[in-house]
Amino acid sequence: MDIERAGGRGANQLRPIDCFRDVLSRAHGSASCSQGETRVLAAVFGPKAGTKKNENPEKACIEVIWKPKTGQIGKTEKELEMILKRTLQNICLLSVHPNTTTSIIVQVVHDDGSLLPCAIHATCAALVDAGIPLKSLAVSLCCCLTESGQILLDPSKLEEQKMKAFVCLVFPSSVNSVLPEESTPATTKSTEQEIITSLTHGVMTVDDYFHCVEQGRAAVAPLSNILKKKMRSQSAGNAVK
Amino acid sequence: MEQRLANSWRMTVNEKNFIQTALLSDLRTDGRGPFDYRNLTIQFGSEDGSSEVQLGQTRIMGFVTSQLVQPYRDRPNEGTLAIFTEFSPMADPSFEVGRPGESAVELGRIVDRGLRESRAIDTESLCVVAGKWVWSIRIDLHILDNGGNLVDAANIAALAALLTFRRPECTLGGEDGQEVIIHPPEVREPLALIVHHLPIAVTFAFIGNESRVIIDPSHFEEAVMGGKLTATLNTNGDICAIQKAGGEGVMQSVVMQCLRIASVKAADVTGKIKKAVESYKTIRDLKNIKRHPDSVDINNISKDMEKSKLELEKTIDSQTNDMEIESHSSKKDESSWRHSKHKAVIGRPSSWDPYTKVADADELKATLASRAVATPDLKTDVMSHEKQELNVLVDTLRDADPSPLLLVAAEAREEKNKAKTLLDAVKPKHKRKKKNLSNSNGS
Repeated sequence: MDIERAGGRGANQLRPIDCFRDVLSRAHGSASCSQGETRVLAAVFGPKAGTKKNENPEKACIEVIWKPKTGQIGKTEKELEMILKRTLQNICLLSVHPNTTTSIIVQVVHDDGSLLPCAIHATCAALVDAGIPLKSLAVSLCCCLTESGQILLDPSKLEEQKMKAFVCLVFPSSVNSVLPEESTPATTKSTEQEIITSLTHGVMTVDDYFHCVEQGRAAVAPLSNILKKKMRSQSAGNAVK
Repeated sequence: MEQRLANSWRMTVNEKNFIQTALLSDLRTDGRGPFDYRNLTIQFGSEDGSSEVQLGQTRIMGFVTSQLVQPYRDRPNEGTLAIFTEFSPMADPSFEVGRPGESAVELGRIVDRGLRESRAIDTESLCVVAGKWVWSIRIDLHILDNGGNLVDAANIAALAALLTFRRPECTLGGEDGQEVIIHPPEVREPLALIVHHLPIAVTFAFIGNESRVIIDPSHFEEAVMGGKLTATLNTNGDICAIQKAGGEGVMQSVVMQCLRIASVKAADVTGKIKKAVESYKTIRDLKNIKRHPDSVDINNISKDMEKSKLELEKTIDSQTNDMEIESHSSKKDESSWRHSKHKAVIGRPSSWDPYTKVADADELKATLASRAVATPDLKTDVMSHEKQELNVLVDTLRDADPSPLLLVAAEAREEKNKAKTLLDAVKPKHKRKKKNLSNSNGS
């Protein structure tokens, strides 16, 4: 009963991820992330002095600006800005630079499904490029549910439009600890069980939702390894420059 | 308020003096001569009508989209052209979101004047039903990185995007012949815009007390300059627009010299744009004929007849969007596919992988034997093995394309035989970042 996906992808296969850091010259940190055809560019400016009026001056403030490819900024963009802001507030260490604002600007270059996960990866890479202190990286995944109840990972735009429901999940990435393996199994398990953000569209049953979460959690380790490898390989190149 | 001042960037007096003194000996901080342009690269995105231009450190993206709208009252047979410039805060910390500042509006106006008033884009061809429906072309320019001289780069980005943009074809239909039917790209090939000439903007900066003229100022030079002049001209020798909004006064002779230099530079830039657009077009056409790698000559002979089918194929690919060459993945187990050499190219339609279908060869023979000629049928059979969701499209293909070609059927047979031998030599060109999670799934 397997649904055939374009490109012959399996239900659990993600599109190739590519991540480049330091693509812009004026921004303090910048990154471009692509997942298949979806491409997102993120830039970070900060920390800048001062926070906005209603923000807590004891902590750093994060400001997200989402720029769509065409068209005016509307409610969808504002919603995505809010989601990104709250997700990043969780992974950034806010107490290191109190009373500052870090601005993150996300520009959509091409949207072919899984836009929010791609944006989160780009933003994390840009924050790393800018040197903003982070608790952990974030790893994100989009799962969609077909009519027959099958779960597909990383849908493309066409697949997203045909699906019954889809959910976007953000997890903290797996932490490579310097402590020996025996002492950490309990703690690593607990961090991997956290879900930072979950965004659903459409109707799905509770069981289906938890299946999606399980699939997502299984993907965290390989995804975080790939992203870290991408970032590490770039920094070696920068050192040569 | 202090925070804004603290966050803004200011030029130091030392830097300013350095730039001015260096210019006295005709030296610029990045080693250029006073009349040298920075390195210009023009790239195109995966969609028609999207371009990314890099002029030194300045990066600008242009997107062109179209929509059917009602025309303006005083111009019922002309389409409309609208330019939207977004000074993204990504480009410069001093740019703010929300209402565009002065420089954003000025940039938009210069690009607009160059394109619209010089009639570079033929707006009369955009009319569908006079007085009722016309095409409205919208150009979005996103400034990603401000390395100086945004006007020139934005102009090039707009032109590159317009040259590669394709609007859908529409016909009049319906009961009274007044209804407009827009054909999707897989049914009818989209059309290019008619561009009469390319207006190129060339910016000059006047620096220092003696008003030294330099071309293509960088970000630092812009902070130091006393005045700016932008001349938009084309290779036919027409001046489309000149913009000198205040700043230091310059002598007439200097302005004439600038115009002369600008015409030389405009020819240069026009050549670069045309070359980039040509190579993009050949890549796009190559994508269409990628399924028949050893039949390029046949395609050249019967190019016109092929073209519509190729467009159909290409648009099918762009629709599915992440697969170039199919393999029998749906019929194999995931585990065996992981170990299989014949990996499908995922996510990169621009990579060029030879035809890797081996297991399909027998099926192809069977279908060829059963059908007399039927080229589009051949292609649709090949694809329907892999993609069930394209069944609807397949039907429209058959309907839309009544003229099969013996030539193409013959070449398909050839290459299918060849595919067996090529396979062993094929190496996947790009690393595939596929994570097969069937193991971890615990199924």
